[in-house]
Amino acid sequence: MLKISFVAAPSRAEGLAVGLRPGGALPDLGRAAATALLLGRTLARRHSFKGEEGDVLPVLTADHWLVLVGLGPIEQQNSRRLRRVGGGLFAELATSGIAKLDVAFGLDPLEAAELAYGMLLRAWRPAARYRSKADPDQVWSLSKIAIVSPDPSLSQRRLDRLAAVAAGAAYARDLVVAPGNELTPQSFIDRLDRLTRQGISLDVLDAATHGLRLLQAVGQGSAVPPRLALLHWRGAGKTERPLVFVGKGITFDTGGIDIKPRADMEEMKGDMAGAAAVAGALYALALRRAPVNAVGVLALAENMPSGQATRPGDVVASYAGTTVEIIDTDAEGRLVLADALAYAAAKYRPRAMVDLATLTGAVEVALGRHRAGLFTADDQLAERLMAAGEAEDELLWRLPLTDAYDDALKSLAADLRNCDWEHGPDALHAARFLQHFVPDGVAWAHLDIAGLSEAEEDGPLAAEGPTGFGVRLLDRLAEDLAAHPWSKGAGVPSV
Amino acid sequence: MKISFAKAALPTEGALAVGILEGRVLTATAGQIDHKTGGLIARALAASRFEGKKDQTLLLLAPAGLTVQRLLLIGLGKPDSVDGLAAEAYGGTAVAQLQAAGDQLLTIAVDPIGGSPLAPAEFAAHAAAGARLRSYRFDKYRTKEKKEDKPSLKKVVLSLDESGEAKRRFARLDGIIDGVFMTRDLASEPANVIFPTSLAEQAKTLAEQGVDVEVLGEKQMRKLGMGALLGVGQGSARESQLVVMRWMGAEDQDAVPVAFVGKGVTFDSGGISIKPAGGMEDMKWDMGGSAVVIGLMKALALRNAKVNAVGIIGLVENMPSGTAQRPGDVVTTMSGQTVEVINTDAEGRLVLADAMWYTQDRFKPQVMIDLATLTGAIIISLGDHYAGLFCNDDGLADKLVAAGKGVGELLWRMPIDDPYDKQLKSDIADMKNVGGREGGSITAAMFLKRFVKDTKWAHLDIAGVTWAKKDGAVTPKGATAFGVRLLDRLVADNYEQK
Repeated sequence: MLKISFVAAPSRAEGLAVGLRPGGALPDLGRAAATALLLGRTLARRHSFKGEEGDVLPVLTADHWLVLVGLGPIEQQNSRRLRRVGGGLFAELATSGIAKLDVAFGLDPLEAAELAYGMLLRAWRPAARYRSKADPDQVWSLSKIAIVSPDPSLSQRRLDRLAAVAAGAAYARDLVVAPGNELTPQSFIDRLDRLTRQGISLDVLDAATHGLRLLQAVGQGSAVPPRLALLHWRGAGKTERPLVFVGKGITFDTGGIDIKPRADMEEMKGDMAGAAAVAGALYALALRRAPVNAVGVLALAENMPSGQATRPGDVVASYAGTTVEIIDTDAEGRLVLADALAYAAAKYRPRAMVDLATLTGAVEVALGRHRAGLFTADDQLAERLMAAGEAEDELLWRLPLTDAYDDALKSLAADLRNCDWEHGPDALHAARFLQHFVPDGVAWAHLDIAGLSEAEEDGPLAAEGPTGFGVRLLDRLAEDLAAHPWSKGAGVPSV
Repeated sequence: MKISFAKAALPTEGALAVGILEGRVLTATAGQIDHKTGGLIARALAASRFEGKKDQTLLLLAPAGLTVQRLLLIGLGKPDSVDGLAAEAYGGTAVAQLQAAGDQLLTIAVDPIGGSPLAPAEFAAHAAAGARLRSYRFDKYRTKEKKEDKPSLKKVVLSLDESGEAKRRFARLDGIIDGVFMTRDLASEPANVIFPTSLAEQAKTLAEQGVDVEVLGEKQMRKLGMGALLGVGQGSARESQLVVMRWMGAEDQDAVPVAFVGKGVTFDSGGISIKPAGGMEDMKWDMGGSAVVIGLMKALALRNAKVNAVGIIGLVENMPSGTAQRPGDVVTTMSGQTVEVINTDAEGRLVLADAMWYTQDRFKPQVMIDLATLTGAIIISLGDHYAGLFCNDDGLADKLVAAGKGVGELLWRMPIDDPYDKQLKSDIADMKNVGGREGGSITAAMFLKRFVKDTKWAHLDIAGVTWAKKDGAVTPKGATAFGVRLLDRLVADNYEQK
């Protein structure tokens, strides 16, 4: 477990990290680090170290490690970049053998906290229990980091706030990485006790007995029944309408009777990343005692082929009453979300409702792995989400929410069918499908995070594997909303 | 089909189309007919579900009290929504319904509509444009079409009081439609008829309209170092071509031009990375971008646009053969950058890379817009309702989106962020020509971006919108010529001397 503290001056740890910028300007670190810095500059020249953001070069001096860290140009410095530098530094040194590191970058107290935040975000890995014995080369040696700050207690207070969100992201990643034999709809609910201990109240609905028939249809092939989990964080007055976050939580998606090809099917244990992000965001809000009312709605089911499974062609009446012909049992995410959205809209009168789902392969074709798809008819909500994504390095791109493709969802047997077999824009179809279950007047946005919930390669804030995408974004949206309330007239348009 | 304008008068023969506003509100001509026939229209409305909404029609055969053969009621929607596009849909719908009904004459009534942003003359001009656009057929290869399947309509008359003014306004749109039809013809022609040299010949016919046309062959392109374009064409028996079209309509002949660049793969078999057989015949229209540029140049010339515009099209045929380019080949582009050709079926970007570089090198345009049926990924991203817009300048992007809305050819902006560029890293060359399945249209745009100098540039990926699978209001099934009207509007609104 990584421990980060803030200190007024470097102690004399076995490692000292100093920051360098292109051009070689040196920060003022006072006498304590001045010698190290001068030495660092000399070494940097010798090793043609440029000081570009993300560069890390550890050099063994006579008595300790001197770690040169590129900070990039001062005029470009901001929170996002400092987080990346922090995360990158931790990743570089985690298994280096260095146990204790002092970091003297000459940052102000709030900047120092952002640097630490990046380290916390990067310092996540799957629980050790998944391996019977640890690989000694992969054990993290780095366990204590002391960051020099002119006001250590201010830095610490800021980090406490940010660490709540990092904990939310870590919690979401733990859920995403959990294999399907460990994480079922029921065990997902069991693991929500972490949230209830922080003052979140939890209601669990059985799909079959509450008229959540689409959710039931998706989960009925599994031996573990589907559930709708409702998480309530009440941080503001009773009369304040809540922000509602809805997450797709398919704990394993085989595709059902329309079973998927076998290659990479194991990745489908992560098809609950939307629900994990929602739970993680609620956890973060509770940990930081956020002054907002928020509801998390998790649509939990396991999509399995079996004698009880839904068949292609089955027609099911949704919670909202709209009937759906399920022509592809592997287009199941939109089904569970449809019931969850309709239920949440009816029950909570949301100020805004945002759903997150690893919904389509099409969105990966469209936007790849750098931006998630954003679908909304509400321009103000779109702007807020885009801005929150920019600020948190969880980037979105708006895609069309349009009735132009309604023919694709026409069914001969029911009000709607759940997808189109043609080689068309399935992410757009899915978004439009969901819109049918959101009442007019509700400010709603849908985030298709299929390309973003897991990273294929190491990045500065997350290693290869689950990213916790959405936790920081939703937390930022809640914070933004508390600081700048919704303007009048928001949440009106719909196509 | 001949289009004319005449003073308002009820016709005595043929078919007659009249508009009804939403809520069953009769236009003046409809009211006149209703009065004359003792309530024919009122009875028809009462006996049907027709309410005058957009897209609704009601056809009355041998209407009692009139001598016309057919009376077609067309819903116009709400008065304030009757804009140019609605007027085009009105004319287009009339032709779609009556083109092969048996009548030779169609009269389309145009009445003043209170609350509409359009004056009657403008409405009539757009309705005429819609009628003509919708009448398009590509039937030259049908030798045995049954008489009843052939269009009967010979003459369309728009009837309104301001017929003279309407005729003048239509003349301008008529030239643009000539361009649209040329584009549709070229895209519809099979690949044994349209290949690089024959397409270049077609472009040369624009000389009649005052467009200066130059054609570069393989020898000249080799001299210029266009290794990427030539590599794509080297498997074909047909010689690759680069066509340069110049319309110098600005008063100042030295005014900096706007440039349009088109992908012209006259047939794309995929090359050695050959495509699956199903649907491969569609690849005859993989020259859709170049056809749009030709049609656009024709439109600008015909309406005498006051702009200097250059159109550059790279024409190649992508075939597998003993001389074809192999996956893994490295080619050097005109820019000097090298490309590892991982997939010979990602060929459009190779053609555009050299064509775009040449365009900037020679003409230093104020803006450069390329059009290409570039990726299948754009169809999975945006479907057939929007073309993908990739642009390095927000101002230009806004202008393009606005022009598209104006003519009903919609664009949706897509990202071109640096992180996507990484997917193009090659093990042995400056870049590879494919970036994988994820973000496939974006990485194609990122590839092109590497061949953009300091130029304001937009790339339109029109793979999803170039060929319509079903009839639209003003576009019959088939080649749409998406882009001609959009770019004509862009020029008219932003780059012409007033």
